[in-house]
Amino acid sequence: MNFTIKKEQLPSFLDVLAKKSAVFVPVEEDSGATIFAPWEGQQLFLEGRTLFSPKFLFRPSQEKIFFFRKQTGSYEISPLDDKKQKIVFGIRPCDTHALNVLDQLFEKYCDCGSDQFYTSRRKNTVLIALQCKGPCENGFCTSMGTSQPVGHDLLFIERGNDFFVTAATERGKRLLGKKFFKPAKDTAPSRKLECQNSLETKNLAQNLYSNFNHPVWKQEGDRCLSCTSCTQVCPTCYCYFIEDNFLFGSDKESERSRQLDSCQLQRFSKVAGNHVFRKSRAARLRQFVLHKLSYYQQHHGLQLCIGCGRCIAACPVDIDLTKIANEIQKDTLGVKK
Amino acid sequence: MAAQKNPEKSRCAPETLAAAPKVKVGLFSLTCCEGCIFTILDLEEKLLAALPFINIVESAALLEKPLAGSEKLDISFVEGSVITPGEEGLIKRIREKSTVLVALGACAAIAGIPGMRNALPAGMEAKIQQVKTLAVRAKASPLSDVVPVDYVLPGCSINEKEFLLFLQKILIGWKPRLEDVPVCFECKRNQDPCLLLKGELCLGPVSFAGCDAMCPGNGAQCIGCRGFTKDANFSSLDALFKEMGEGKRERYNLFTYFNQLPEALKELKGEN
Repeated sequence: MNFTIKKEQLPSFLDVLAKKSAVFVPVEEDSGATIFAPWEGQQLFLEGRTLFSPKFLFRPSQEKIFFFRKQTGSYEISPLDDKKQKIVFGIRPCDTHALNVLDQLFEKYCDCGSDQFYTSRRKNTVLIALQCKGPCENGFCTSMGTSQPVGHDLLFIERGNDFFVTAATERGKRLLGKKFFKPAKDTAPSRKLECQNSLETKNLAQNLYSNFNHPVWKQEGDRCLSCTSCTQVCPTCYCYFIEDNFLFGSDKESERSRQLDSCQLQRFSKVAGNHVFRKSRAARLRQFVLHKLSYYQQHHGLQLCIGCGRCIAACPVDIDLTKIANEIQKDTLGVKK
Repeated sequence: MAAQKNPEKSRCAPETLAAAPKVKVGLFSLTCCEGCIFTILDLEEKLLAALPFINIVESAALLEKPLAGSEKLDISFVEGSVITPGEEGLIKRIREKSTVLVALGACAAIAGIPGMRNALPAGMEAKIQQVKTLAVRAKASPLSDVVPVDYVLPGCSINEKEFLLFLQKILIGWKPRLEDVPVCFECKRNQDPCLLLKGELCLGPVSFAGCDAMCPGNGAQCIGCRGFTKDANFSSLDALFKEMGEGKRERYNLFTYFNQLPEALKELKGEN
């Protein structure tokens, strides 16, 4: 069943939600950064996708995973599961696909079962997706097939003075109180996006992999600043490292934490004896692009890149993943781009 | 150092540490603003929490009798750069009596602000010779130019969280590491917008992280007070600055604010 809600009622609706759960919404900060932040009645950023993806709500850039304390003959460990009920409003279709990919990764492909910290956050979070009005700068979701949402609980579609709302799950439907939501008399408005940016996906994974020594890697890699912006804004970059810290004077408790890492750093591929496998910037850039567009596809049959274009928007020296891939595709397929 | 002599015993929880003999620590200042030592003093109760494990035996800033002479020290923290011949002798003596020598802050790590004297415009050196009353060396040097340095905690001033973690790790017998990570890593981690994309000059991509990207996070450009990363791509960043319309002199001044001009950018030098 479909519903509608008047645009001016949206803040009141979010206020009601915020009484029971932590609500996160897309906002533009004073600094100009667009992020997902706790709802405090502020101006919403609904013009397009945020530069920083909602992955930080599920996989924080720094998180304490447990405290440990020495006991006689053993250690006592207290894990820090985040069991807070959360609602994310305004997540874009591409980001729902990103979470879908991370779900597979942390629930299915983990050798040790599932990642409890990620999965408990995911389980306790309701996703209210927001369909895009039009194509965003740099985005190429239509090429990647991610312009329609997946795995969401509710979908909001903006039109005129109201939002058209469809419920995809029962827990989503329960949020639609009669006070704000009226049954819709018409059918869902169709939203077909035409992205300005595009990526030729024909045989993409194989073609990129077989062009491991293409000159484009060095050409773009030499300009790369290794600033790691691309991997930090990417909604499907999940690599992390783990650190133990001992704390003075805190009842002899110590903590283990994990932080997002980046394949654009030399330390990422550093092993015992200080050997670094990916010394050159070209090799590190290639790792990023191939992981997104080739390796993951070959291993798990899923595309890791979801076409949000954030890595392109965040790069200070305009390195463009689609340009690199399209150049290789052009040379391999003979397609004019 | 006490904690290192018995590695089996040292790799354990803090309560055993308390039973071990206290680690003897010295705090020394060469030419600088003494901001790093004050950062340590500003730790207040956090520093007091460390006192069951360390004994500060030498410090001009803390103790009435600052210099204990030739007594051996486990860890010496030294801030400031080596400018006078007297300081050169002092740092050599500190090195001799210390098991671990730690360079604190930009001046000790990379010569920092005093290091500006190493690239004076022509004619300035002669003017200084006329007015100076103190014997100075030909160069302001970081500690590592004069003696071997075990660890470096950079920054202007040092990061207090980094200092505490360093102290905790070294007390339990670990080898603290300074990873070659740029400031941008922490800036983006904190979800702050890129200043370079806003058209402002920022040394984030080539500067050592560890400051939690405090300056870019508050809208101020990074000026590289923690030194350059080993992996820095200077030529690409300089090309970007040039594209943004910055003149040679501005670029030179920014790259040499805290740091010595990197080899890759030596063509910037000409006009200065």
